[in-house]
Amino acid sequence: MKKSIVPVLFLGYFGLIAGVLLFMGFYWQAKYSPPEQPIHFPHDVHAGKLGLDCMFCHRYADKSIHATVPAMQICMNCHQTAAHDRPEVQKLLKYWENKEPIPWIKVHDLPDFVYFSHKRHVKAGLDCANCHGNMKVVQQVRQTRTLRMGFCVSCHRIKGAPTDCLTCHK
Amino acid sequence: MKRRDFLKLMGMASTATLLSSCGVERTTEKLIPFLIPPSEDYIPGESYFYASTCTECPAHCGLSVKVRDFNPIKLEGNADHPLNSGALCIRGQSSIMRLYHPERVKQPLMRDASGKLVPVSWKEALGKVAQALQVSGKSNKQNIYLASRTTGSLAELIDWFCQRADVERFPEYELFNHAAIRQANALLFGQNDIPGYNIEAADFLLTVGADLLETFVSPVRYTRQISRARKAGQLSWYHAEPHASLTGFKADYRLRIAPRSEPYLLAFLVDYVVTNKLNRHSLPTSMRAALPKFSVQEVSKQTGLDSRTLNELGLKLGKAQNPLIISGGVSTAHDSGLEVALLTGLLQWLLGMTESTVDFTHSENYHRVGSQKDVARLVRALENGQVGVLMVSRANPLGTAVPELKLADAVTKADLRVALTQFLDETAQVSDVVLPLSHAMESWGDAESRRGLVSVMQPTVEPLWDTRSEGDVLISLAQMVSGKTLAPTYQEWLFQRWKQALGSNEAVDAFLKKGYYEKSVPAIRVDLDAREATRLLANAQINPAVGEGALVAAPSIRTFDGRSAILPLIPEIPDPLTTISYGEWVSVSPAVARAMNAKDGHQVRLKTERGELLLALKKQPGLAEGVSVVHRDQLPADFFTMEPRTGEVKVLFKRVSLEKTGVKVAIPILSGSQSQHGRGLIPKNLSHREGHGEGEGGETLYPPHEHKTYRWGMAIDLDACVACSACVAACHIENNVPWVGKEEHLKGREMSWIRVEPYYDDQEHLDTLIMLCQQCDNAPCESVCPVFATYHNPEGLNAMVYNRCVGTRYCHNNCPYKVRRFNWFDHEWPEPMDRMINPEIWKRPKGVMEKCTFCVQRIRKAEDLAKDEGRLVQDGDIVPACAQTCPTDAIVFGNLLDEEARVSKLAHSEHAFRVFEVLGVEPAVHYLYKGDWKHES
Repeated sequence: MKKSIVPVLFLGYFGLIAGVLLFMGFYWQAKYSPPEQPIHFPHDVHAGKLGLDCMFCHRYADKSIHATVPAMQICMNCHQTAAHDRPEVQKLLKYWENKEPIPWIKVHDLPDFVYFSHKRHVKAGLDCANCHGNMKVVQQVRQTRTLRMGFCVSCHRIKGAPTDCLTCHK
Repeated sequence: MKRRDFLKLMGMASTATLLSSCGVERTTEKLIPFLIPPSEDYIPGESYFYASTCTECPAHCGLSVKVRDFNPIKLEGNADHPLNSGALCIRGQSSIMRLYHPERVKQPLMRDASGKLVPVSWKEALGKVAQALQVSGKSNKQNIYLASRTTGSLAELIDWFCQRADVERFPEYELFNHAAIRQANALLFGQNDIPGYNIEAADFLLTVGADLLETFVSPVRYTRQISRARKAGQLSWYHAEPHASLTGFKADYRLRIAPRSEPYLLAFLVDYVVTNKLNRHSLPTSMRAALPKFSVQEVSKQTGLDSRTLNELGLKLGKAQNPLIISGGVSTAHDSGLEVALLTGLLQWLLGMTESTVDFTHSENYHRVGSQKDVARLVRALENGQVGVLMVSRANPLGTAVPELKLADAVTKADLRVALTQFLDETAQVSDVVLPLSHAMESWGDAESRRGLVSVMQPTVEPLWDTRSEGDVLISLAQMVSGKTLAPTYQEWLFQRWKQALGSNEAVDAFLKKGYYEKSVPAIRVDLDAREATRLLANAQINPAVGEGALVAAPSIRTFDGRSAILPLIPEIPDPLTTISYGEWVSVSPAVARAMNAKDGHQVRLKTERGELLLALKKQPGLAEGVSVVHRDQLPADFFTMEPRTGEVKVLFKRVSLEKTGVKVAIPILSGSQSQHGRGLIPKNLSHREGHGEGEGGETLYPPHEHKTYRWGMAIDLDACVACSACVAACHIENNVPWVGKEEHLKGREMSWIRVEPYYDDQEHLDTLIMLCQQCDNAPCESVCPVFATYHNPEGLNAMVYNRCVGTRYCHNNCPYKVRRFNWFDHEWPEPMDRMINPEIWKRPKGVMEKCTFCVQRIRKAEDLAKDEGRLVQDGDIVPACAQTCPTDAIVFGNLLDEEARVSKLAHSEHAFRVFEVLGVEPAVHYLYKGDWKHES
């Protein structure tokens, strides 16, 4: 009796830890994995290989609270001629022909009670990668930072930015 | 169950719960891009302002529509506009709800074979109307166009349409048609219009019944003028009225006169002026002889004013440099109303006002408006079977015309009834074709608010539904009927006209930005035409005053003639005099209530010659014992009769009795008490204010707050404030404050962040206090919050972090000012009203406390802009919504640390005080009060 219970307890203990870790892994995977977008837009090609500036497409990042996804006309400026053989580009052309906007799925979504201004952060000289990760290498956009309050506040503290609640809470 | 089984089950249940809660919340929100990038100067997420014109009432104030991401979300007054200079009234602020109202007619409707109104296409609906117009042209029947007050280009287009399509344009239908004033002016001066009253140029103002601050002609403009004249310290304002109105309480001197005694008062004044040779124009002898004459004793007996007051009034009026006298409202809408208006006009001429303060050159453009007499004429035409097509535009005569005319029966005799409308009102419901009109904010247009002043209306949003502007409807109809057209669209025609009037496209662009232009109009100099007036005065119908049992149906500042009651915010905001929000009530003097042994909210049976009504009773200090008051739109339409000479709807009822039924009515009276109980909320004399200033009384356990750059504060001038409640409406719209309805109000769960508190003293004077979060330094709410959701921020705001709040409501219990509001429910805005939700501030969910934040979103915006420009926020950069809309500029906001800021100067003035200063909570809201302007005779 006494002989058999020790390994069971031992196994059970580590089994539980392994289980919790596994669960957290799945959770993380599910929460922060890239969603299935209507078009597989490769940031690594545009921002990485072609070296386009972030603001080339997200042109309101330094002007508005929203960085905004680019208007489709901006895509079409190049794709009028470029890369028509790619299936994903053909999807784009189809949307454009039908005059339908692409229903992108939001990846970075802050709660409604948070006031966040892209303009303020860009003007303060922050690199986009600080919050969005290095977009030059990702094929599909996924959230790489928690974007929770702790994440914001730690940076605000380091940079000496205001930490009054009303700075961000509306 | 065994203990082991129980534990097993518990274990299973909790595991299941755990597993089921493991689902990952994933955003499914979409990011929808533009197809084509918007113009260079458009930035998503920014707010833009477009000039337009308010169409909620006929005053047509200038608007500045705040549009964010293609949705209008707030209305503000156009700061440059000559009428309202930035201010809006309670109705104007709420009128954005008309645009988004879910009950708007969404497509053309036509009556089918079974008699039901069913949706049809525009082509079908217009085709039907055009065909009927042609048919009645052949069968020699008359077509009629009846609109509400229309000015500017649309008025001319209607004329053009009526010519082309062979339609008779009827005088316009307005319930508040001011016919007595216009008729008197037509008789005396040959001007069938309401003159522009130049209050700012006056040093003495006597208003008789005209509720300048509430509904009379152009209330925001008059309120602005009065407040400016008061600030300049030049104006002495007497208001005579039979009932108790906000205007009366806010005048310098309120003269309580008996109902229908106005002609005695005015005849006395004419006589006084002429006898004492104070007149600047001489009175023709024939007219002098025809004037009604009463002894001072008689006038005193009729009006209830003593002879000293009467003589003083005569002297002040006669001796004033620039006197002004205005009659109207309830005083011209009874059977001696025409005499009141005639004597007023005569006084205006005798004292030379027609050359200074009474301006017919810039009159109010009411000359196209008719009266109930025209409805009578319409009924005759209908009954004779002469009417083919009856088109009614933006008016609801079936709902509001006096029942004695029997319009409802007559209207069935027309061949085709067409309603151009936004709502299915009584008139639209009996129409065969309903043509839905676009809101002024969805279409192009202009209005000539007053003669020579043209205001623009421009679309700020795509039409929400399948609606069209009236101009476009008429252009299409004319083309279908006659084949002739003015322009392909109303918009093109308007631009042609504007270009013609202004000279160039650039000038038109400037007009669209500025919101208005002034054109020169031929000056109108009036002279007295004594003949007709003499005849009328000789046969003057001056009935004795109504001493006992009078009922006054007073217009309401909230609903105007009843039209604004459809806006959900209007009944939510309490009436400023009684603080009743939802429901119907009759106001009586406290003495009458005492005699009846009735309290506020007790039900009474109101008996009149026209019928009975059950209403809640409300004590109204300042009211004479023989007079009770019901708001005009709270009386059923069949109570009303017409004054046959002027065609106004009579609002004075005689032989009215009240009787207690013994039932208590559930009616929300929001103020706990209308007496200060001697506690000096608004200190009456300076001794109460001793020790006003910085730093005393503030004993606290906590260290003092350090405010480095800003300490936001407010100063509210209670002498200037007229309690019009526009600030309340503005706050609701700006801050997504929900409207919750009568049931919640009865439970004391109203949500408004700012309120008007009326307090009456023993002399029945009214003091009003504007109460909002006082943003205390030693805020009692902060120290009791267990989760640090409310705290003092470095800029002096008593901040509220909504998502942190867990809803203990300790803060609410600990607030001495009762300004915190708790969300008992998730309040939803019905579609499409959700489009007016301000995204700059969170819509608070259930279980969260909320309150005034000094419009923190506006502070944030100004600080953001200042940071862009590398400077500090300057005085005047931040204007909270309440201060922005205030017609009297009573609310001043700013940085109390900046000694040069307006707010600091006001806060340190000798008339400043803070409410409950003795508590030591150190509020940041300072009030100013002298209280030396109110007197009552």
